[in-house]
Amino acid sequence: MSRRTPVITGTGIICAAGCGVASVWESIRVNRSGLGPLTLFPSPRFGNHLVGQVCDDVENLAGNVRGSRSDKLSWIAAREALAAAGYSAGLGPINPAGVGVMLGSTVGGMLGTEKVLTALLRKNRHRFSPLRFHECASTADLCAKQIGALGPVATFSTACSAGAMAILAAAEMIEQGEADVMLAGAGDSLSRLTLNGFGSLLLLDPNGCRPFDSRRTGISLGEGAAMLVIEAEETAIARGATILARLAGWGASCDAFHATAPQPEGSGAFAAMQQALKRGGLQPGEIDFVSAHGTATPDNDAMEMRALKRLFGDAVPPFASVKHFFGHTLAASGAIKAVLAVQSLREQAIPGTPGFEVADERLGLEPVKEFRAQPVSLILSNSFGFGGNNVALVFGRSVDSAERRHYPADQHAALCREAATSKGIPILGTGVVSAAGNSLAEIAEAFRNGGTAASPFPVPAISPTAQAKVHACGDFGAEQIIEPAKRRKLSRIQQMTLVAAKKALGAELIGTTTPEKICAVIGTGLGSLTDTAAFVENLILKDERAPRPALFTSSVHNSLASQVAIELKLSGLNSTPVQREISFETALWQGANELASGRAELALVGAADELNQYHLAAGIRGRGRNKTSQRSLPGEGCALFTLGRKETAATPLAFVSAIRIGRSEKPDAVAEANWILETLERDGIAPGEVDLLLTGANNVPAQTEFYRGLVAEFSRRAGHEILLDTYQHVGGEHHSASAFGFFTAIGLVRGEIAAERACKTVVLLTLSPTGTKGMCCLRA
Amino acid sequence: MESLIEELKTKIIGGFHLEGVTPADINADEPIFGTGLELDSIDALELVAILESDYGIVITERSVADKAFASLRALADFVAANRT
Repeated sequence: MSRRTPVITGTGIICAAGCGVASVWESIRVNRSGLGPLTLFPSPRFGNHLVGQVCDDVENLAGNVRGSRSDKLSWIAAREALAAAGYSAGLGPINPAGVGVMLGSTVGGMLGTEKVLTALLRKNRHRFSPLRFHECASTADLCAKQIGALGPVATFSTACSAGAMAILAAAEMIEQGEADVMLAGAGDSLSRLTLNGFGSLLLLDPNGCRPFDSRRTGISLGEGAAMLVIEAEETAIARGATILARLAGWGASCDAFHATAPQPEGSGAFAAMQQALKRGGLQPGEIDFVSAHGTATPDNDAMEMRALKRLFGDAVPPFASVKHFFGHTLAASGAIKAVLAVQSLREQAIPGTPGFEVADERLGLEPVKEFRAQPVSLILSNSFGFGGNNVALVFGRSVDSAERRHYPADQHAALCREAATSKGIPILGTGVVSAAGNSLAEIAEAFRNGGTAASPFPVPAISPTAQAKVHACGDFGAEQIIEPAKRRKLSRIQQMTLVAAKKALGAELIGTTTPEKICAVIGTGLGSLTDTAAFVENLILKDERAPRPALFTSSVHNSLASQVAIELKLSGLNSTPVQREISFETALWQGANELASGRAELALVGAADELNQYHLAAGIRGRGRNKTSQRSLPGEGCALFTLGRKETAATPLAFVSAIRIGRSEKPDAVAEANWILETLERDGIAPGEVDLLLTGANNVPAQTEFYRGLVAEFSRRAGHEILLDTYQHVGGEHHSASAFGFFTAIGLVRGEIAAERACKTVVLLTLSPTGTKGMCCLRA
Repeated sequence: MESLIEELKTKIIGGFHLEGVTPADINADEPIFGTGLELDSIDALELVAILESDYGIVITERSVADKAFASLRALADFVAANRT
């Protein structure tokens, strides 16, 4: 029995059905829906629809934290979960380096961003400061800071499965020993974007959703947050914490079918559930209750029932959908269901399905209608997102902990050793789109020339003639690489990503394995900004007339990774880390983890971001205080890589190891050097072997000074001079820049990009201004 | 009616960026979606948005859209009957 089994020691929740676990559970016990009128913002088009709006005073409840409504909802839930786990007075004797935060987010600070754009477009008011909370990562940054977490911190945006994906990632972090305690969950507020977006897809049921009902027409949009404290069982036992439940299994898959519609037979849903059972060493017959995704869209419910019938045969366990209690809370949905599953296991009772009245004969199955007491030992909870991003989680009773089979940690470690060569994980392919060009030759030349030329980018949000100097991507060959029928449906950043993906993962590599053995993890700091902005501009300027569905579907961050999966037919885990500057490093970790666990044979990893005038406008205004002419320019681009396992036949370009993400309270040269050395040591890399430290330094004097101090300390400890370099002057400064850095590092260790002296081993380090950090080591 | 059909063809080709497709390539009596034009369900919803912005027709249910998009001729009838 593994002592690193992830167990749950605290839960917290806020949604339309109540604030606090006890209050929400009471609503569920009496079958009382929290759906009601929308008052949070005016909506000319959908104002008459029932929604799951949180009616508590969120501002007041959140206390003095600053952030978006999503941030505040999340912090309210996080505070409850931490208190329940016994961490209300801080972490106590727990080492903060072993404490991490993994969250899901779809909406982020969109509600605030909409207000900024409304003031700008309607009243020509320039107030960009709320945009600092726009990003999905804002919530994880806030929570990590509040807790003082110095372990892995990341955010995932896989649409409506994001909360479940975050829990899955947290479980992996615990099991691997990367962390002892994780705060995991998700929060999303209501927004005009999502309300109009689902409206444009004709997926809203104005009078309240009716899961599995023959008359169902769509979802009710909701908002809320739910958080769990997940710990290694040994940590929880050692500190005498009450174990509420345990994570007994988890699995993920991708439909690789369509941007919004699920695969009609539920093949992806089935694969995720099957993975979750396999991971926990469980048989379908052991599941006592299924907490269905059950959004009440005609397609979701039909495919989910097909998947359940395929998995369970004639013995489908009782199942229910809780969506009518508080609406579809998007990323938060999977986290709320997780908290409710824990509650079901503690209370030995299962929720009903309000909204359901008339059975749908086509489904052939009926959900549990009303709350009832029932013995439950294992609960399967489904979350399915746009793009076919599916996650299934299994929760088990705490008392069963010792009896249950579980994938043991020592087996996991053995698999990790098996997957990599002595030099690390082989890198088998690369694809890059950058301001410096889209080929190694062009990029190597840009490094020789000392940088890339700037180009002007119009910023009408500031003034009609305003321009920013940027590093923008030129033509990247989309017309040659993507056929017209497909290209017409893709936004520019989607095309960038697909072009890079086709280069990194060619048919000859895909042919070496099967689709379910290929995962795709593509990070993005800000996603499809241009399409998202166009959708929001449209609804502000046209009073929500004729919202554009195509813009909405590409506005979700995971549209990048999922469209690649659809095009290349990749049905393994599909994920979208959105952790600002370390989105790439998080993708690298997750892809490598899939390889190490044996679930994937190939992992397509990388990151993409694009320039947008609003982001530039906020930067121009924000930078006014700290103006510096030398600072590297804003940029954009995409860099993707195919990683393999050691037995892969293809010849590796280089090897990557020492992959790690973490967080610092404030940058400190000695502390960062320690962190790098410790990480290298874990993977058996002697510091003396390192030739160069490649960073995302952006040429601001204070930063340059800091990195010089860091490399001096690193050199001192390594016993020889380590070179220091950056890549921002070539690819530009953006949230996915370190993916370009990774491409650069491969070029350096292969001798294709020139350095002061030959470099065989390069450490790539990324420090985000919010404190999160990531690193890896590349070797020839 | 024929001129409305031609008008709708132009809107579909323009709105969906159908490179190399001419109005003559579209058969007015065939289903608009799921045929040779390679238009999918998101395109169908985009067409719903086009009908609203260009003809003031608001569709809120998928069943209404499915019926209207049975063919270009059916769509022209639908637009003629419901435009504002």
